[in-house]
Amino acid sequence: MEIIDISLYSLLLAILLLAVPVFLSRIYGLGLTKLLLSSAGRMIVQLVLIGVFLKYLFLWNNTVINLSWLIVMILAAVFSAIRGSAMKPGKIILPVFVSFALATFTVIFYLNIFVIRLDYIFDARYLIVLGGMLLGNSLRGNIVGIDLFYKSIRKETKKYQYLLSLGADYHEAVKPYMRESIRLALKPTIASMATIGIVALPGMMTGVILGGASPEVAIKYQIMIMISIVVSTIISVLLTILMTSGVCFTKYGVLRNDIFLKNKTE
Amino acid sequence: MIRFENIDLAYQGNNVFSDFSLEIAQGEKVVLLGKSGLGKSSLFSLILGFVQPQNGKVFFNENRVDERIVWNVRQKVAFIDQEISIGDYSVSEWLTFVSGIKANHSLSFGGKRLKELMDFFELSRDILNKDISDLSGGEKQRVAIIVSVLLERDVFLLDEVTSALDENLKKKTAEFFVERKDWTVVSISHDPVWLKNPWVKVFDLEKKTWK
Repeated sequence: MEIIDISLYSLLLAILLLAVPVFLSRIYGLGLTKLLLSSAGRMIVQLVLIGVFLKYLFLWNNTVINLSWLIVMILAAVFSAIRGSAMKPGKIILPVFVSFALATFTVIFYLNIFVIRLDYIFDARYLIVLGGMLLGNSLRGNIVGIDLFYKSIRKETKKYQYLLSLGADYHEAVKPYMRESIRLALKPTIASMATIGIVALPGMMTGVILGGASPEVAIKYQIMIMISIVVSTIISVLLTILMTSGVCFTKYGVLRNDIFLKNKTE
Repeated sequence: MIRFENIDLAYQGNNVFSDFSLEIAQGEKVVLLGKSGLGKSSLFSLILGFVQPQNGKVFFNENRVDERIVWNVRQKVAFIDQEISIGDYSVSEWLTFVSGIKANHSLSFGGKRLKELMDFFELSRDILNKDISDLSGGEKQRVAIIVSVLLERDVFLLDEVTSALDENLKKKTAEFFVERKDWTVVSISHDPVWLKNPWVKVFDLEKKTWK
């Protein structure tokens, strides 16, 4: 069973569906038309570019290029994670990158070597596609985790300092905050794991099934990817907190104020 | 015991101290007096390493408080902050947490001493199961005082610890801290129970002199 290609003409028919929200936006004065059209435009351009790019990536299937592209994807994830947080980029970009890279590479190579048992573990089809799924899905958790950790210590300066004054070392003093932020970072992923298949048919499965594989194969891939997302999220949140602490705390164990974007005086 | 030497300290451009010096000897009971904004609490923060002076030195036990020594200082000093914010713990959970800190492992946080202190500070047993956030201001202060005593340290930095207590408890608390000859106690307060106590030395932060 081969997937049915959509001709350009047919695709135009799909795009024509946009007329529905545009029409409704007009009638109900939703004011969404401009935003909707520009977003759709961006999406089409971005996807066309990545489509062309992936075509060649799969064609060449070169180790160096594949790995480089994965690194570019990680960098993009790092930037959007930092932009979503209240932290200054310059200070934390390197530790965040290292944490994301370690988490992503560890999980992907584990999958490629032990689970999928690829002969060529740098194969673009698996490396890039799985990498994208992991990064895309663990990103939100990461942002929540990092942000909450530093924000709550700043908000509870008095409590944090009290912990230090009780004789807690750095690790003991940040532990309650670490626990809370990792827990919240993982919650949505864990929750979506429980509803998958019933509430939502995930993109990964749709893709695999349309690609001609049987639902059994799709299910196996989906189980693998969901667990991998949880694993890579927890590794990267934990590593990010551990690795950024060196630049975010003074040697006295006190949180620096200059790591935040808005230096609000409290 | 504690010595401030030519301290310059400014927060966001606001000058708190310039060329400030003060020495507190072991066993002394000192009250820091002065309006808010004069840096009373900042002196505690300097000792505990929560802020660093732009110039000058802070000494604890003849050791300069630096990024290494400060961790040691925090294990020798019992500090009680003006507002006690601990979060979602019941009193007994909090006691377990504090005794679980590695530096406090050798201490006993339960048993006889705790009961004695609770009786002395007039707290009933059922408070142990209450959430700290549900306690009254006075109850929180007494819990914090009891924790500070259980830590078995001999230097106390007390920031307005009697403010929410009734007259009788205020007096009892001040006397409790002043009576122990071996304890060094620095208290921020404008309460007569501290200021009128004959054993207490008062340092006026406005005039920067002993009274």
